[in-house]
Amino acid sequence: MGLRDFMDSILGRSRLPKAKTDKLFAISTASVTLETSLGLKPSGAAGICFKPIAASAYESARKEIQELLEYSSKETKTEFRLEKDEFNFLWAIFKDQDFEDLVASVHLVSETLEGYGFGEQLLCAIYRFDSEPEVGNTGDGKIVYWIYNFKQGTYYPFVPLSGKQRDNPFEFRLRAEMEREMPVEKNVEKWYPLWGIPF
Amino acid sequence: MKRKWERDLGLQGRMIFTMFLLAVVYLFFLAFLSYYGTPPIFMLLFVGSFMAIQYFYSDKLVLMSSGAHVVSESEAPQLHGMITRLCAIADLPKPQVAIVRSQIPNAFATGRNRNKAVVAVTTGIMDKLSPAELEAVLAHELSHIKNRDMAVMTIASFISTLAFYFMRYSIYFGGMGGGDRRRDGGGIILIWLVSIAVWIVSFLLIRALSRYREYAADRGSAIITGQPSVLASALMKISGVMERIPSQDLRSVEGMNAFFTVPAISGSSIMDIFSTHPSVEKRIARLEKMQQEMI
Repeated sequence: MGLRDFMDSILGRSRLPKAKTDKLFAISTASVTLETSLGLKPSGAAGICFKPIAASAYESARKEIQELLEYSSKETKTEFRLEKDEFNFLWAIFKDQDFEDLVASVHLVSETLEGYGFGEQLLCAIYRFDSEPEVGNTGDGKIVYWIYNFKQGTYYPFVPLSGKQRDNPFEFRLRAEMEREMPVEKNVEKWYPLWGIPF
Repeated sequence: MKRKWERDLGLQGRMIFTMFLLAVVYLFFLAFLSYYGTPPIFMLLFVGSFMAIQYFYSDKLVLMSSGAHVVSESEAPQLHGMITRLCAIADLPKPQVAIVRSQIPNAFATGRNRNKAVVAVTTGIMDKLSPAELEAVLAHELSHIKNRDMAVMTIASFISTLAFYFMRYSIYFGGMGGGDRRRDGGGIILIWLVSIAVWIVSFLLIRALSRYREYAADRGSAIITGQPSVLASALMKISGVMERIPSQDLRSVEGMNAFFTVPAISGSSIMDIFSTHPSVEKRIARLEKMQQEMI
């Protein structure tokens, strides 16, 4: 605990940590290993999830974010859409078959949002990876999400199964495999699921 | 044919280095004791006989203190069958099999050599684990027997125990052994201080060695069963590490600042050097890595 945190506790100030966007890029080098040693391919979809803003400010914020997205995704020509979910959280969803461009877009948009004072609203960024069905297995392959926690600057794996179950052993395996290549959240108590990710 | 994942040179290197350091500390201690005129013979005999009893009766002592009772083949046919098969693969004589009536999931092996060994499991672990997972845990315990961990750890902790007794009782032993000029009051305090230092250093080294033996037994289990990930999932079940992964949606706990609280200092780094077992997460990580290397 630093001096600032200490003073904050003494004075009862609560300050939200600044969003850390710099570690976002770790996923682009890690994706090579994910593909070669785990057979996980980037699905070409990624998203940013934001905290809802007070209902009155919502429409104007949405408009502003829409403009920001249009402006900032111009360079990479990434497709995007905005969506609201049942928790009233806003999602910016990106589609780009070029993974580098996808990461660049997510980074650029989160930077821009931060620059416009939405930094504290950023909840997480998510990348989806798909695996081929295992040999001899007719079912679908696994869907793996890497969730980036902006406040900690770390990623954690999320592998949903049907019926709000998750594949914990595989998540541990993902961590064991990837923790040398990307900042993986060490504290599993922070591996919160996100059900019904809209991509 | 030796496969890549069957060996861990790093682990073997660290084990040898730890044993070497332990030997250095012990030799220093014995040299110090004889220089300072306290003939360690008396203490050696005392501690030696004490530990010999412990060593030769370890199987009975452990069975008594844990409340485990030895079961015959007809009482627990499945458990016996599993252990018989694993022993055939590991090329071990079959140990005695014991069961502890306890809901706490646990398993242990003891005995001074391969012919006098006991493997015990609790009823809790048999309920909690699938047959394959139980097999992996039993293979871990059999690896302890195969690696002669009981003997290794007894020898490794012998002089440490000696230092411990010096630390506690040097005041009483100070007056014994006839007149020697060097053994005045100052000498006893010095012996006491050195004993403390030797005990602390050797304690930490023994703990490190014990953790390396655990990794080695995990590795042994993986080699016997050929499935490191099954032991990993057994460890996850036993330790409850999976229950620590939250099940509540991030968005619904966001109001409670799920991500935003100051990260708790994880108790791993400092407590790690005092523990006899490596953290479950580290063991799982290693097993998963072995699983990777097998493919």
